[in-house]
Amino acid sequence: MIPTIDFSAPRHRAKFGYLLLAPAVLLMAVIIVYPILLSVSISMQDVRIARIGDSGEPWTLENYQWLFGSGETWHALWVTFKLVAVVGGLSVIIGFATAMLVNQKFRGRAAARLFVALPWAVPEVVATVIWAWMLDSSFGLVNWVLLTSGLVSEPIAFGSNPTAAFAAVCFVMIWKGYPLMSIMLLAGLQSIPEEQYQAAKVDGAGVWQRFWYITLPNMLPVVGVTMVMTTLWVFRDFAIIHVLTQGGPLGATTTLSILTFEQSFEFFRMGQGAAVGVLTMVLCAIISRALVGRMAKSVH
Amino acid sequence: MATVQFDQITKSYGAVEAIRDFNLDIEDGEFCVFVGPSGCGKSTALKMLAGLEATSGGTISIGGRDVTELGPGKRDIAMVFQNYALYPHMSVRKNIGFGLKMQGLPANDINAKVEEAARVLELTPYLDRKPRALSGGQRQRVALGRAIVREPAAFLMDEPLSNLDAKLRVQTRSEIVKLQRRLGVTTIYVTHDQTEALTMADKIVVMKGGEIQQVGSAEQLFHAPVNVFVAGFIGSPGMNFFHGKVESGPQGPVTRFGGHDIPLPAKCAGMSGRDMIFGIRPEHIRVGEDGPGVALSLVENLGTEKILHFHTPGENVLELDRAQVGADEERDAQTMLIRVIDDRRYSEAETLALAFPVEKLHVFDPDTHEAAAG
Repeated sequence: MIPTIDFSAPRHRAKFGYLLLAPAVLLMAVIIVYPILLSVSISMQDVRIARIGDSGEPWTLENYQWLFGSGETWHALWVTFKLVAVVGGLSVIIGFATAMLVNQKFRGRAAARLFVALPWAVPEVVATVIWAWMLDSSFGLVNWVLLTSGLVSEPIAFGSNPTAAFAAVCFVMIWKGYPLMSIMLLAGLQSIPEEQYQAAKVDGAGVWQRFWYITLPNMLPVVGVTMVMTTLWVFRDFAIIHVLTQGGPLGATTTLSILTFEQSFEFFRMGQGAAVGVLTMVLCAIISRALVGRMAKSVH
Repeated sequence: MATVQFDQITKSYGAVEAIRDFNLDIEDGEFCVFVGPSGCGKSTALKMLAGLEATSGGTISIGGRDVTELGPGKRDIAMVFQNYALYPHMSVRKNIGFGLKMQGLPANDINAKVEEAARVLELTPYLDRKPRALSGGQRQRVALGRAIVREPAAFLMDEPLSNLDAKLRVQTRSEIVKLQRRLGVTTIYVTHDQTEALTMADKIVVMKGGEIQQVGSAEQLFHAPVNVFVAGFIGSPGMNFFHGKVESGPQGPVTRFGGHDIPLPAKCAGMSGRDMIFGIRPEHIRVGEDGPGVALSLVENLGTEKILHFHTPGENVLELDRAQVGADEERDAQTMLIRVIDDRRYSEAETLALAFPVEKLHVFDPDTHEAAAG
């Protein structure tokens, strides 16, 4: 006879929970944990094209010697951090400003909220292809507007001028990234109790003082979380840069994720590509741990 | 310290009139309570005084100064909110000192005043804690501290006790009154609890449906309610009502109650033949004398006192909307209550003889629901 277990009994309830969790845990192990371990393993092998199931090369630290010894990595790191700082900083500011705007009561607020969120809803590649066309140096819309309005005397070469290319990537990433910030910050703004503002008004606080002493401190945890999300997004975003500049010109927009792609699938040095990927993963883990921990602690 | 005047204040939301003809003078140093059921406009009136809501008409003055067009920060008032509205990210010290900081006081002065307020409210050990590390009662005192430290012309309090448990509420109630007496600051206090109103106020403003029903001391409201609503709202339990026809008896006007003649006040002599509403408070009905006999339907023993329920005799039942009578929820129109404090044991279904002392009977007009003048 098969012993029956009553899963509703208090002492068996936990077992039922584990049972329900099992498929999800297995799935995560297969699609997340295994690939991570695999890429760590590849990063320690001298392989050009990795094949799953191969007996594999002996483990070596050659790829990591290349990683820390080559100028490419340090350059890509520098580009990535610049991008994180510019995109993260500006999209927090723009996201905060738009969130405050659509948090006001005015006619057409629903439409305004939709417009704020719109760039987020457009698929990344589609949006970037359109931007690439608009930013084209010879027949793009942006240059046409700049030229006809007399802001520039000759077209800006977004494709070949490193500074312009970096600016273009930043611009498109901010355009694509600020709506999520805005939506999350709006949710944060709405959770601040109205009474706190009323109390501050009675206490004689003006508009800026209410922003500084009530809105900002209340929003810190949300800002922290959105910063982490944007940082991670910029770190790993591939499509926008790949479509817009392919990491060029002269590596001006080669971030860690572009470098990973180049090494693995353009130069077919998958061991080195995997090493860059592992470095990116470690950095992301450190950054998110630091930001989340700090923001969460600083307020509540 | 200042007087507060409402002059012809109205407030409407679109076509809905939330407050009509609100006229009120509050003396310097007075403790004034706005009381009424939810939705009566008492909080709106307070928010208009604070400058958090715009008025639709009329003027508000504080200390003789017209403040109708001024923002909350310029009205020289302090407010205590129902949920305290403490700033969660600031320590108690900073919470209390925030208003002073906004006034631009030097840090030393702020600190001295905050320490003094904390001493008065026994908050000194908690000055460097965040609000979330405090109990409900302590948070409430921080909110009070934030108000008193500014030494404003008036305190506004919006149901400040409703988030406290019953025991703490009674204790804090008397603390607020003592504090107000000591500081002598004009206070406007909003509550839906008539007990709070009666125990705390110098002046009570009873409101219903956006209109002031009666303004007066606890004494006046209790003994001379101007209408059925105030009579039913004030007192716990509220007044009993029944209706009957005024008739002339050998010794003056009477009405019939349960087959007996009940003597009426002399002023009813001129109302002979009219149907009137009569009211008597549960504590004023006398038991065990000659008079109409009633069977008890329920006996509630509260230890020192007992609440005896009996059915209103059929012909005397007054069909009134509860909202019009302002009666508490646990009673219906067919039941009258007697409140007794004695050692006698009462049992259900027991028949008692009642007497309604003539000087305690209230007479109301059945059409206007207002107290009938003689």
